[in-house]
Amino acid sequence: MVGTSRLFARLQVSVSVGRINGPGFGQYASLNRATYATALSTSNFTGNKGGPDRGGRGAFVRRPRREPGEPRTEKMDSQQDWSAVYPSAASFRPGSVPLPVRMGYPVKGGVPSEKRGNLELIKIPNFLHLTPAAIKKHCEALKPFCTEWPAGLDSDGDLDKHLPIRIETTDYVSAGPSVRNPAARVVTLRVRLSSLNLDEHAREKMLKLLGDRYCKDTDILTITTDSCPLKQQNTDYAMYLLTVLYHEAWKTEAWESEMTRADRREYIWEDSASQHNVLDTLARMATPVPGEGVGEGVGEGEAPPREVLLARPEVQQYRDSVTRLKNEGESEGATLRYREAVKKLLSL
Amino acid sequence: MAAPVRFTRIVCAMARISSGIPLLGLRSLNACRGHRSSQTLRASFHRASSLALTSSQITVTDEPDTLFQKVSVLVKGHDRSVLDSYEFFATMAAKELGITLGNVFEPPKDVLRLTLLKSIHIFKKHRVQYEMRTHYRCLELFRLTGSTAQVYLEYIQRNLPEGVAMEVSKIAVAKVPEHILQPMWEEPTADNAPSPTADLKG
Repeated sequence: MVGTSRLFARLQVSVSVGRINGPGFGQYASLNRATYATALSTSNFTGNKGGPDRGGRGAFVRRPRREPGEPRTEKMDSQQDWSAVYPSAASFRPGSVPLPVRMGYPVKGGVPSEKRGNLELIKIPNFLHLTPAAIKKHCEALKPFCTEWPAGLDSDGDLDKHLPIRIETTDYVSAGPSVRNPAARVVTLRVRLSSLNLDEHAREKMLKLLGDRYCKDTDILTITTDSCPLKQQNTDYAMYLLTVLYHEAWKTEAWESEMTRADRREYIWEDSASQHNVLDTLARMATPVPGEGVGEGVGEGEAPPREVLLARPEVQQYRDSVTRLKNEGESEGATLRYREAVKKLLSL
Repeated sequence: MAAPVRFTRIVCAMARISSGIPLLGLRSLNACRGHRSSQTLRASFHRASSLALTSSQITVTDEPDTLFQKVSVLVKGHDRSVLDSYEFFATMAAKELGITLGNVFEPPKDVLRLTLLKSIHIFKKHRVQYEMRTHYRCLELFRLTGSTAQVYLEYIQRNLPEGVAMEVSKIAVAKVPEHILQPMWEEPTADNAPSPTADLKG
């Protein structure tokens, strides 16, 4: 009759817990003396083995427990090739790193725990595979794949002249359930309007079409596209928008001839009500300034001609102040400048 | 029976080669494209010198290289010392590859704090607070070609430690395309030029 053999090996984890001192440091204190040796322990199980006639099938081979050998650190040469020990990213192995590293919050009156069995050292990412020597080796191997920057484009001015379009894209790298990031499809295209071939009418029409997308101070047009799902599609769409804007700006429609003063983007003083008023006022004042080029046809008491009036410095100053007020809005400086211009004009 | 043997031999060869340069793998990288944008710029080609790889994996194509005015690498992590080490690695790699480094700085950290109830039921006065700190490090690189940027970024990203995220923003420069150099209308001020809007209205 075959006796049932209940032979089983039990995984024996030996963890001895040290002193627990202080609040909240239980887990650290327990690591002081904790070892992580998991060993197949067979020494306790002779009882159920059965008689000596149990050979073959049910025999549990009693493997003699091997003692762990000397750690590799003892045999390491100080001039060894470290990139052979850590050729790529790996967790910390205390037997392979010949440094007396200590890590962990110390017990009161103690020191941080040693490296053997130290979970904190295993948890933290290490850069043992990226020593300066290893980085140099890697870069030597990578250098043939790199290309040089062209010589004629060293300054930003050169770049703006030859390559005025800037396309900004962003890539994201992170760990997670998915490698995709929907924010990676956003593309921003920037270009200076001065680098595009535009005449006066085209520039005005372009500025009207752009609206908010144009920055007056830097003369940069910004087009941001994110309506397509892929980055390549968004760059193509941005270039398409630029092309359409450009060609539409050069087109003159039939209804553009109906543009009134109110439709204009900026206030122009020439041929405006303000200019008429000024000329009328000055004509009524009608004191010809000595030194002005008054024609022979004008006698005393008659108003000087329009061009002469317009060329006067006070009129120019008035024109500048009114244009600034209308275009840039009301501010204290602008209003004060207008006041000064009016005073000078009317010689108050 | 011969087929599996042959396959193993190939696998062994690959393992040997890939252990020498663990980062590159055996895909042939399309590198070293010449830049052809204008006459003032010279195209430069690199050929593989003696490498450990069995055959030359570098292919040279005529496709013009993209040019990046600026590549900005922002790494985010929860541990500042890991980012310190990574910054040392990335700056050294950039220097070794001959890339002009701009500003390397540390934007201020973001802390997300949560105050939650400690107990699942009642005990409103007893709460527990958690916080998540995100540290940043930013490297700015200027004037890279597309090939160099690809090589550098791939090297950097393959050695990104666990728990660290990266955002790479690139500013590519390009010429004004040919179709925008001149307006396509014959006479720009002709009022009877057919416009697409007129057709739609009709």
